[in-house]
Amino acid sequence: MKYILLMSGSKAGVESYLTWPQRDRDAHMAVLQTIGKELTASGEFVTTQGLAAPHEAKLVRGEKGGLPVTDGVFPESKEFLLGYWIVDVKTTERAYAIAGRISAAAGPGGEPTNMPIEVRAFATYAEAKS
Amino acid sequence: MKFILMMTGTKSDYDQYAKWSKEDLQRNVAFMRAFSKELKDSGVFVSTEGLAWPSEAKLVRSGKDGEPVTDGIFPESKEFLAGYWIIDVESPEQAYRIAARASAAPGAGGKPGGMPIEVRQVLHGHADLGL
Repeated sequence: MKYILLMSGSKAGVESYLTWPQRDRDAHMAVLQTIGKELTASGEFVTTQGLAAPHEAKLVRGEKGGLPVTDGVFPESKEFLLGYWIVDVKTTERAYAIAGRISAAAGPGGEPTNMPIEVRAFATYAEAKS
Repeated sequence: MKFILMMTGTKSDYDQYAKWSKEDLQRNVAFMRAFSKELKDSGVFVSTEGLAWPSEAKLVRSGKDGEPVTDGIFPESKEFLAGYWIIDVESPEQAYRIAARASAAPGAGGKPGGMPIEVRQVLHGHADLGL
């Protein structure tokens, strides 16, 4: 079963991250890299992506002529996707366990960030159609 | 340059969607298929996924003992990721044009849905997760 683990944060959250000392950021990234390697070794890794900073985010709608209308205005509370992992696991509980490990990655001063990771399954064809 | 185009919706948006007629749903699915095919044919397609319904979504945190703590409670205003496309294009403008097409996907009654599509540049993996 494939699951996507979504890491999100508000602009304030991202700004706070940018104030972390470099060694804390390095330690955080090292944990995420270790998790990635472990998932690859266990055969559960599908893919991971990090997204660019929220200030570059745009909302796009189509005009009547089909031309794009872009807008970069978001509410303060907007949760931006920061990155995600897709894993292929035997059980839902295993997906939760991996998400828990990501949540436990060290933050400032080496304390776990404890940030919430959203875990979602993928739609099946039948669901998309019904 | 790689970009991700994201469709999101609140639970109330999903409730509306669940009320669409079968004809409207079929028209929307047909559009999505043709759209993906077009992206593939033009060589910009990287991947696409649709996510299961928000009722199954869970938030997971790490507990003190390292065990995951799950919670399925979200604010009403929560925007759930419904699906996404990743494309590899020459410029942000090209990504915006493609997003505008996705936004014009037929909705209820066959009219363009006009759904906002969030466009973000995608980085290259763990090393860049630090923004």
